[in-house]
Amino acid sequence: MMWSWISTNGSLIWQLTWENIKLGVLPALYGLVISLPLGVIASRWRWFYPPALTVINVLYAVPSLALFIALIPAFGLTDTTVIIALTVFSLCVILPNVVAGLRGVPAAVTQAATAMGYGPLRRLVTVELPLAVPVILAGLRVGVVASISLASVGQLIGVSSLGYLFIDGLQRSFPTEIYVGLVLVIALALVCDLILVAVKRALTPWAARPERQRQRRLRQLTEVAP
Amino acid sequence: MITFEAVTKRYPDGTVAVDELDLEVPAGKTVVLVGPSGCGKTTTLRMINRLVEPTHGTILLDGTDIKERNPAHLRRGIGYVIQQTGLFPHRTVEDNIATVPVLNGWPRKKARGRADELLTLVGLDPALAKRYPHQLSGGQQQRVGVARALAADPPVLLMDEPFSAVDPVVRASLQDQLLSLQAELRKTIVLVTHDIEEAIKVGDLVALFRPHGKIAQLAPPEELLAAPVDDYVADFVGFDRGIRRLSFVSTTGLNLDTSPLLPAESTVADALASGRPWICVTNAKRPVGWVDTATLGALPGDTPLRQVQAEPIGHSFTAGTDSLRAALDAAVLSPAGLAVAVDGDGSVLGVATFEQLRSAIQKGATQAADNGHGKQAREVQHAQEGPLP
Amino acid sequence: MSFFNWAWDWVTTDANWHGSGSIPQQIVAHLGYSALPLVIAALIGVPAGVAIGHRGGKGAVVVINIANAWRAIPTLGLLILLAVFLGFSPVTWLVPLVVLAIPPILVNAYEGVAAVEPSVRDAAVGMGMTPWQQVTRVEFPIALPLILVGLRTAAIFVVATATIAAYIGLGGLGRFIIDGLASNEYGPVAGGALLVVILAILVLALFAGLSRLVVPAGLRKQAKTE
Repeated sequence: MMWSWISTNGSLIWQLTWENIKLGVLPALYGLVISLPLGVIASRWRWFYPPALTVINVLYAVPSLALFIALIPAFGLTDTTVIIALTVFSLCVILPNVVAGLRGVPAAVTQAATAMGYGPLRRLVTVELPLAVPVILAGLRVGVVASISLASVGQLIGVSSLGYLFIDGLQRSFPTEIYVGLVLVIALALVCDLILVAVKRALTPWAARPERQRQRRLRQLTEVAP
Repeated sequence: MITFEAVTKRYPDGTVAVDELDLEVPAGKTVVLVGPSGCGKTTTLRMINRLVEPTHGTILLDGTDIKERNPAHLRRGIGYVIQQTGLFPHRTVEDNIATVPVLNGWPRKKARGRADELLTLVGLDPALAKRYPHQLSGGQQQRVGVARALAADPPVLLMDEPFSAVDPVVRASLQDQLLSLQAELRKTIVLVTHDIEEAIKVGDLVALFRPHGKIAQLAPPEELLAAPVDDYVADFVGFDRGIRRLSFVSTTGLNLDTSPLLPAESTVADALASGRPWICVTNAKRPVGWVDTATLGALPGDTPLRQVQAEPIGHSFTAGTDSLRAALDAAVLSPAGLAVAVDGDGSVLGVATFEQLRSAIQKGATQAADNGHGKQAREVQHAQEGPLP
Repeated sequence: MSFFNWAWDWVTTDANWHGSGSIPQQIVAHLGYSALPLVIAALIGVPAGVAIGHRGGKGAVVVINIANAWRAIPTLGLLILLAVFLGFSPVTWLVPLVVLAIPPILVNAYEGVAAVEPSVRDAAVGMGMTPWQQVTRVEFPIALPLILVGLRTAAIFVVATATIAAYIGLGGLGRFIIDGLASNEYGPVAGGALLVVILAILVLALFAGLSRLVVPAGLRKQAKTE
């Protein structure tokens, strides 16, 4: 492990990291922006969701490299290609969560809001979406983490990201570079994940911690048993 | 027979769910554990089939300490019915019921045959056998749960709030079904409920729990109503326990008056001549209605009573088999203040006045009540037409 | 020309169907490189997930964290790192593919079992089933829809990653893509990508059919909501 290499190439590393951040975060945000209206439609008009879900399942099955390649004729060997492809993947992950989040709002709550005189739009924005935040953000987390990691595959079609360190490292048989790339990608993904968890906590001060509740229930039931 | 000897359940955080419990559940009887939330009744029940292990004390099943038995084998000999049914969603109704027999090694065909028998026993159409649980109503699911518990013909049945999750009409129907099953099968049943009415209706013995796992009173239901041991029990049982206790007092030997009875062919003149303020009009020995003689004055004397507007009876009571509470209720509902007594075929025997009922009540307060729970079940008088809920 | 034009031209060129490294050969190879890690990962992940789901407790927390960490790992980087140290050998591609295929299988198997209604588990214990019987007769069958989802996710992931593994020398459909990129021929790149996409969609269809076959009718109503 050659630490000196890192200090020498600091600016390159930073530039690649910045690229990777863009290629990871932007698609997830675009995916969110597209998923929200689609998700609202899907939770209102139930018939829309099953076909939408089928399309999503098929799109998500497409390997990332193949989707990058398919977009090359239209968008060239540029950032755009990777961003569009990763937006599609993020959409596939976030849309189901938007729908699940909205559907998960207890019917009693929405009915109470309506009965108190909330119009549909106001109810959506001030009651349903806030309550759906935890589930939506869970989807966003997956979208961001997956995009950050998948962005490195874009290097195979020449789109710059931390993936460059992998390729260059292989070509030069230089493990240090590869380690740096791995550590940075993983660290980047985990940092973004933690940031989003903090965002979720900030946006939902009322939330209980569901996992603990389920643990407690399970513990009581499997008390001594078998 | 199930015996609890000084059984205690203490959790690691210090909460005591069951406190030095001594309890004997006689074989072939229904013992109901009733009490407020958190009083330890469910924990007590679950200790019988070792889903919960006591911290101290011993539980004996037919003389053997259950700790010495293999838990899985012990449980196969104990039927277990829970509030949310716990029916296996991935199996048909029939295969759900057949679960324990198959576990015990029965061939699947034989087990399914048994399942069909049990469906009929719990009052369900055997055509439901191939359906899945989610296709059944709540009441039907509960019946399947009971059938499943009975499949291996266990001598003991544990029921944890089995009827709490259904609506009152379905609940009453299920309770009646349980009573008739028990009359036929004579299992040792331990049932947990928070509903004192259910306990009184269904139990041979009622164990009323205090909070934190101690029994306040263990007694047959009528004794609980007649002689609550302290204010806690009296409050829990409810303020109209005096009248409810009358459900356990028989109407055998009740004096009946036949003078207010007149057949429909009699005339207004006959009615006025009887000197009674109210006349019960009968037709072919069946009670038809009450006529207020004060309103007859304007009518021609030879008008047959069948042409006179009569007020409805309300309901009658079957002398000898219905309880005093039914008779009292009949009297209250009657416009004449008199309860009409009929025999098993519906033919009128006479009427009972409040005075006659009063003396029967006083006699009943001192004498031991002769009854089974069949009395209470019959009082409910639900005509069961069509599919059961 | 569009992506499809390039791909179609290349796929329909007869020469590509004969000789060494032909389309049928690479399809078969790709299937092999995908199926083997999937089977191994399933043999590890399903029992482990079911066991942890059955027991509950601390294992559950570990599983949740695995799920989150998994997506952060850039597969290209991992493959390259192993290639630098081990050269090109079965271990270089098989081990990472197995290791990376395990998390979706493990997590879904765990979730499937953990989602079994507590009252159903209580009934199973209360009726006198041994732990083995509880798992095999009740928990596993009920968890089957989610287990199949996990296997499907892993299968698609493995098909995609095997494609990328061509970069470190693995055969299969990725070969066309990587070699084509290196020699600037878009034909095989597009063709290879198209074939991989078709393969991925066939895998989806296979699992959909499998699900219909294997999941009992009583559970299908619940499975639809996944």
